[in-house]
Amino acid sequence: MVGVMTEVADTDEWVLLAYRLPREPSTPRSTVWRKLKRLGVAQLSDGLVALPADARTREALEWIAEEVLEHHGEAMIWLGRPADAAGRAAIEQRMSAAVAAEYDAVTTEAAARRDGDPATRRRVVARLRRELHRIQARDIFGASQRDAAVRAVDELAAQLTGQART
Amino acid sequence: MRWATRARVHVDRAACAWLIRRFVDPEAEFVFVEDPTDVPPDATGFDMRGVALSHHQGRCTFETALLHFDLTGDPALEEIGHIVHEADLADETFDAPIAPGLDVLIRGLTLTSDTDEATLALTDRLFDGLYEHIHRRMLSGRPPA
Repeated sequence: MVGVMTEVADTDEWVLLAYRLPREPSTPRSTVWRKLKRLGVAQLSDGLVALPADARTREALEWIAEEVLEHHGEAMIWLGRPADAAGRAAIEQRMSAAVAAEYDAVTTEAAARRDGDPATRRRVVARLRRELHRIQARDIFGASQRDAAVRAVDELAAQLTGQART
Repeated sequence: MRWATRARVHVDRAACAWLIRRFVDPEAEFVFVEDPTDVPPDATGFDMRGVALSHHQGRCTFETALLHFDLTGDPALEEIGHIVHEADLADETFDAPIAPGLDVLIRGLTLTSDTDEATLALTDRLFDGLYEHIHRRMLSGRPPA
């Protein structure tokens, strides 16, 4: 049977990482925080972050937990369900708003760069596309602002090809 | 030898299984478990928490395995290590533009495979091809046509 190995995200279940790292050295702290930010975690409180659970998010947080332990910190993975529907909606809304702001920043920059010289615009297109990939990786709830951002960068790129032909 | 890893393999585990079969233990037999505590006593676990062959110091398991099996002298394997790292972790430690593609392809293969063995049969071919391509490019100094 095809598809037996598919794991569908259980929208109710969240994976949580409770962790504590020594204040010094500060490098592991910032490395761990950068990795958590890249995943788009919801920070519930100091040292407690959460993501909707699926095989990928759970594994990603488990590896970060391992890293915390390797740096002589404490870390534990939990699976749980928010019992407070309003609180959960607020968290999801906060996560979506953060991602939406990132998309909007891409849209704004792509629009602002239309008058730049071709070489600069080409570099900007490449950089913004990489940025879009990063944002999409943490866009858990599928923000509607994505389309506008992709379109804005595509338009900047299309302008370049148009220019190259003349 | 028997080797054990978590069920529903993805890029890092698939790459490690390939590495083990091609460079370490041609007779390798793989066991897929739900939990690290289910690893049979005679099997070597990999890509799971609490074992030597796993993520360490920011490295993915494949990179750890290259060090562990003393295979770092092969630059083609090292490059595959960078690709697997980015496909698995996407933390931009390395410049590996094919990594997102590899991630998608292997996720797709797991969706159409009934078992982990079936996935590995396909990913072994994928990594054979990747290794050959990188190896030839390194020999000739340009990508094979």
